[in-house]
Amino acid sequence: MMEKMIFGRYIPGDSFVHKLDPRAKLIFVFAFIFIVFFANNAVTYGLLLAFTLLIIFISRIRLYFLINGLKPIVFLMIFTFLLHTLFTREGAVILDFGFLKIYEQGLKQGIFISTRFLVLVFMTSILTLTTSPISITDGLEVLLNPLKKLKAPVHELALMMSISLRFIPTLMDETDKIMKAQMARGSDLSAGPLKDRLKAVVPLLVPLFVSAFKRAEDLATAMEVRGYRGGEGRTRYRQLKWDYRDTICLISLVVLTALLVFYRN
Amino acid sequence: MEAVSKSTTWRTVDLLYCSAFATLMMVGANITSFVPFLVAGGVPITLQTFFGVLAGLVLGRVKGAVACTVYMCIGLAGAPVFAKFSGGPSALVSPTFGFIVSFIICAYIAGAIVERYQTRKAYVASGLITMILIYLLGTNWMYFAYQLWAAAPEGFSYKIAWAWMVPPMPKDFILAIFAGLLAYRLQKTLRILPIK
Repeated sequence: MMEKMIFGRYIPGDSFVHKLDPRAKLIFVFAFIFIVFFANNAVTYGLLLAFTLLIIFISRIRLYFLINGLKPIVFLMIFTFLLHTLFTREGAVILDFGFLKIYEQGLKQGIFISTRFLVLVFMTSILTLTTSPISITDGLEVLLNPLKKLKAPVHELALMMSISLRFIPTLMDETDKIMKAQMARGSDLSAGPLKDRLKAVVPLLVPLFVSAFKRAEDLATAMEVRGYRGGEGRTRYRQLKWDYRDTICLISLVVLTALLVFYRN
Repeated sequence: MEAVSKSTTWRTVDLLYCSAFATLMMVGANITSFVPFLVAGGVPITLQTFFGVLAGLVLGRVKGAVACTVYMCIGLAGAPVFAKFSGGPSALVSPTFGFIVSFIICAYIAGAIVERYQTRKAYVASGLITMILIYLLGTNWMYFAYQLWAAAPEGFSYKIAWAWMVPPMPKDFILAIFAGLLAYRLQKTLRILPIK
């Protein structure tokens, strides 16, 4: 459980995709989210799907994990598919149940949009499955660096993100402890009407907040005595390295975009 | 002690308050999975919106908004911090992502109200106003996100988007009042914002 909390859905590995620089992967995925909208016919959607499957193959992620990531979106996909197939009235009628007619265009559109969802979810899942949240945070900080000129607190945001990630297991532990302590004092959270239950939550939440903020204050003091004074002149423990692989990754993105633009209607 | 970075007027502890709150939001979004005190039909109800309301009430406008931004960012970076332990950039595609974005704006507004009026009534009123705003922004986002991602046909009307949001509404409004009361209680102990 704790492992899962720290690393998110990250699965360690040493495939080509795992070894990519987080910056390259971030640029790739965010560009991909926009590129998906170029596709508008069978060829282009086929290209997107083939490309995604190729990357899944290269990343050597077990399909099980990808399908797991699909779960929250499955309902939406089915809903969208039905909406398109049932409500679009263009093209030839394929199926006729009397009260319900399914048109060619509707079915096509339904399949296209479902593919769009599938490709988006798979691609973004691959990012988080092959990159730990911490390296994504590092990559994000470097990528957003130019914004520092506009006085955007890029370093501070990245720092807060890393510390939050680090706090997750600590606070989960703390919640568990406080809950057990209150249960030992006889508080019952799972019975009675809503009002009583909410009342019972107060002795759980107040100590949790107090301890979380206490930890934050302690850590702030610890950082200051060690000489933390903002992002300027700070060196980093984890260095990012741009490799030939990352260049290949971005070139493939450009090629994909060109193909999509070329083949779309 | 002056240990402030040159580029901002933030103290280190302010940064850490935001981190801590972002993590608390993660715990809050999933607390019902390990402490089953709010379960409806076998499904644990998320307290994500409840903590979204609390952010501004506890930390004030700027820090509250920043805490919500941090929460959104770690979620997008792949940590399982959103409701049902979900996370990752695929959350962007999910139609309910607007609620997470709306926390940022709402935390700012909620914080602004309680920074001006420091009574218990103001806390409750602010909680309710925030919840209404979260619903307004979140549902509109859902409608437009659905138009964008799914190129929804005429069948998906604005009314359907709202109908989708009706079931969790009563529970969320009770929780909004509770958030106001709890935030007032928390300020007594934490003393981040002055109260009367």
